[in-house]
Amino acid sequence: MMVVQMEKPKLLIDGKRVDGRALDELRPLKIQAGVLNKADGSAYVEWGNNRILAAVYGPRECVPRHDANPYRAVIHCRYLMAPFSTLDEHGRSGPNRRSIEISKVIKEVFENVVFAERFPKTAIDIFIEVLQADGGTRCAGITAAAVALADAGIPMKDLPCAVAVGKIENQVALDFGKLEDNYGDGDMPIAVAPRNNEILLLQMDGMFTKDELRKAVELALTAIPKINALQVDALKKHYAMKKEIEG
Amino acid sequence: MLKRKLSNKGEQMARVVVPGELLADSPRKTNFTYVENEKTYSSILGLFDEVGFRLIPLEGVYVPSLYDIVVGVVEEVKFAGYTVDINSPYQGFLPAKDSRYEYELGDVISAKVKQVDEVKNIILENARKLREGEIVEISPAKVPRVIGKKNSMLNLLRTATGSEIIVGNNGRIWIKGGNSALAARAILKIEKEAHTTGLTERIETLLREEGK
Repeated sequence: MMVVQMEKPKLLIDGKRVDGRALDELRPLKIQAGVLNKADGSAYVEWGNNRILAAVYGPRECVPRHDANPYRAVIHCRYLMAPFSTLDEHGRSGPNRRSIEISKVIKEVFENVVFAERFPKTAIDIFIEVLQADGGTRCAGITAAAVALADAGIPMKDLPCAVAVGKIENQVALDFGKLEDNYGDGDMPIAVAPRNNEILLLQMDGMFTKDELRKAVELALTAIPKINALQVDALKKHYAMKKEIEG
Repeated sequence: MLKRKLSNKGEQMARVVVPGELLADSPRKTNFTYVENEKTYSSILGLFDEVGFRLIPLEGVYVPSLYDIVVGVVEEVKFAGYTVDINSPYQGFLPAKDSRYEYELGDVISAKVKQVDEVKNIILENARKLREGEIVEISPAKVPRVIGKKNSMLNLLRTATGSEIIVGNNGRIWIKGGNSALAARAILKIEKEAHTTGLTERIETLLREEGK
């Protein structure tokens, strides 16, 4: 993320964070399933000031053909930030070094939960578009893509969800926003399978002691059931809504 | 929302389940589930019928299985046979030696799946060229509702509209003659309301009222 030359703001005042949250508080999160007509599955997530759209196609014929695997479906993922998603930079759209890396780690999250061996020779395409970014977009992207995959009817072991934890003033804090991301002492996006708390992604930026790391993971795990409940809700609501229309 | 009474034809109340949702504390074998640590979980977004312990998917692509009937379009004519688009991630292949008729690019055919191997090479047989008529495309996950128990829904559609109907398991439905517009409308209604109870009665009413 682009660091603007600016004096470091005070991130923790009387136990409250810059946006008034407590250390273990999530930003408001809203998830909606099935928002696009043409995609096989889709989801829209509003997480704090993040606005993220995820679409899933497939399993479908793998293009290019030589990428196909005769034993399983390959998963393609494209995470991209819109040119207008942040205040500064991102003047040009298209993949860059950062988004290619994030696409890769998100792909690996889903390779661990999708029953890909049921669809040999095919590809499952995941598109994650960040329309507005405010820190923790890869986590919001994973959360949205999981709902989109389920909406596409793709068999999975679980609905992965993700949250970022970090360190400000030597204390671990949940769900980092952009300001905390830029000026905090370190952040750590974590993706988890909520069914058994299996960790699917753990990246770390900054310095954490062993103890802090343990605390940070524990803090992330406390938020996972809440995020998962909203994902499940979004999917169930989508089908309940369909019922109402005909009723 | 669910004021409708349960239909007496064994359509139990089913609930929507999501991937990773616990279905039973014991290992049970049903389609679209998996067992981990002696517990059964759902692997898809589906409707779960607790009484019959059945899980029916709500979405999903068509993956061919043996003896399925498919409605396809000839995509390529080769010396050995025809590749057929069957609305699936996999293409079907109709060997020329098994077909009495020579097909052309773009011909619409119905065929039976003769062979599926582990890498999903699909061999078709019993092809029949479908002339005239129209095709309605629905989600393959909803095809069982269009057919109904022991063809009940399909027979209802056929007698009420007088149309010739071929339902492909791949979600393509070919309709010819009779009141084909009404048949198409009924099929789309079935698709939209496939996961609700009392569907047969509502389709009966639709066909009766509009079929005059």
